[in-house]
Amino acid sequence: MTASENDLLIADLRHKLAEAEETLRAIRENEVDALVMRGAVTEEIFTIVGDPESYRTFMEVMEPGAVALDGFGRVLYANSTLTRLLGKSLTELQGKLLTDALPIATGKKIERLLSDASTSKQSREVLFPRNAGGDLHFIAVANPMRLGTISGHALTFADVTKRVRNEGAAQSEHAAQAAIASANEAVLVCDRKGIITHANAASSIVYDGDPVGKAFAEIVPLVFGDATGALQADDMIAMVVAGTPVRGIEAVASNAPKVKDYLVSAAPLRIAGDRISGAVITMVDLSQRKAAEQQQNLLMRELDHRVKNILALVLSISARTAANTDTVSEFQTSFGGRIQALAATHGLLLEKRWTSLELRDIITSEFAPYTDATVDQVTIEGLDVAVTPRAAVAFGLVAHELTTNAVKYGALSQQGGRVTVRAIGYSREDDGAFVLEWRETGGPPVAPPERKGFGHTVITRSFQYSGGGAEFDFAPSGLVCRVSIPSEDLC
Amino acid sequence: MTSTKRPRKLILYVAGQTPKSLAAIANLERICAEHLPGQYEIQVIDLRQDPKLAREHSIVAIPTLVRELPVPLRKIIGDLSDTHKVLVNLKISDST
Repeated sequence: MTASENDLLIADLRHKLAEAEETLRAIRENEVDALVMRGAVTEEIFTIVGDPESYRTFMEVMEPGAVALDGFGRVLYANSTLTRLLGKSLTELQGKLLTDALPIATGKKIERLLSDASTSKQSREVLFPRNAGGDLHFIAVANPMRLGTISGHALTFADVTKRVRNEGAAQSEHAAQAAIASANEAVLVCDRKGIITHANAASSIVYDGDPVGKAFAEIVPLVFGDATGALQADDMIAMVVAGTPVRGIEAVASNAPKVKDYLVSAAPLRIAGDRISGAVITMVDLSQRKAAEQQQNLLMRELDHRVKNILALVLSISARTAANTDTVSEFQTSFGGRIQALAATHGLLLEKRWTSLELRDIITSEFAPYTDATVDQVTIEGLDVAVTPRAAVAFGLVAHELTTNAVKYGALSQQGGRVTVRAIGYSREDDGAFVLEWRETGGPPVAPPERKGFGHTVITRSFQYSGGGAEFDFAPSGLVCRVSIPSEDLC
Repeated sequence: MTSTKRPRKLILYVAGQTPKSLAAIANLERICAEHLPGQYEIQVIDLRQDPKLAREHSIVAIPTLVRELPVPLRKIIGDLSDTHKVLVNLKISDST
């Protein structure tokens, strides 16, 4: 052997020695987990950690998703439940960080979970977002684990989606029931066959008793005004269950204990997904609105009637005043006074909401412009008698004519004159009209008028029906006028 | 070495899917991608499939990474989790 061959041999031996030392070091420092042994025929592989197939078989039969991780969080093995969940093959996952295969937020949670589970078992709820069908919920449990020479984690994912959804559904159910219970309107929930499953307290307005378990259409038969009988309660439910909501239809619930008029709405009930599991029927009491509408219609008709009457009356007053006055100025004074008398009576009627007026109030109102001058000259006795609005208007005009005549020409035109307006009583005839008397005394001597003016006409023509009327006595000592108000105008 | 040269081969001997084998594959792929892009191509030999392939490089412990060229041949034993050690072995040898 030459010197150079000797050097090469020594170098080779040194190299082999270094390699042997490195191998021993690696084994000692737990950097390898399999060894190659020379067998009788060929080499054999011995796994230091034992055969991994045993734990893999065990993991595979586990129902939850399961994964074995090394100390860095890399996948050693994942069962098929988990690979399906992650949508990756085992080959794609092995050796890679598990967190890289998870949704970002879930990955961060798992990282913290593994860190917390370095010495003891830890668990956490995690979520796998899914676009269709809703998110998936899991309880992830990490257990520290030693697999032969390495330490890592056993991590399982138990699917709790159904439980979470049921909890959510239960909460929704509670919220829905609370909402229904606190509604002011009657709310009834029916199943697909129209059998009532829920009803709030306000439902007692449509059915006197416990409606749950009964057929809606039987206990609350509805008549829809515009449907001419073609649509009935059970048709409505069938329509709603088929997916068509009904909004705000007016209906009469003939069997309802008190209120009959309702505004009915019904919507399909969807509890899970798109399937319609029944109908939610809401019934709003329309009686107040109906009553208000009727009152309004009544008022409109009444107003129309009164306006026409009053215009006719004003035209008549205008024509007769014009016929009995000689100058425009005289016309303006007379006509204005009469319209004011009319307005005064209307004002009084408005205060009493057009119900009735007492004769005393009408007379007092006509004397009002002259009260200061005539306070001691006028006596009113026993006129606490209420009359209808039409009689009040007519009597207002009569009182106006008598008053203006007394102030201009009669007892109130001079000192010492007096006017007494008093009740005579009820007529003894069958008609039972109320008779009052206007008597003037102490005024200038009276003579019958040469011509009958407007005032005379108004007075004598008033109450010319049902035993009513007016008559004059032009006695020289003073004017006497008796007015009979028919019993039908007395309140 | 320039990037136009053909990549040199690195042979990684593993034993099926033992934890260290899986870790060594993942670590080597990461190191090559991050630090030595385009310089090496990796061949993974599973000795469970064909144990006698261990003879060629006298493999005793698994996993073992073998770099044949440039000479001298280099072996790095373990799961290659020490990046610095792997780089020193691959680069220093390259310069000799």
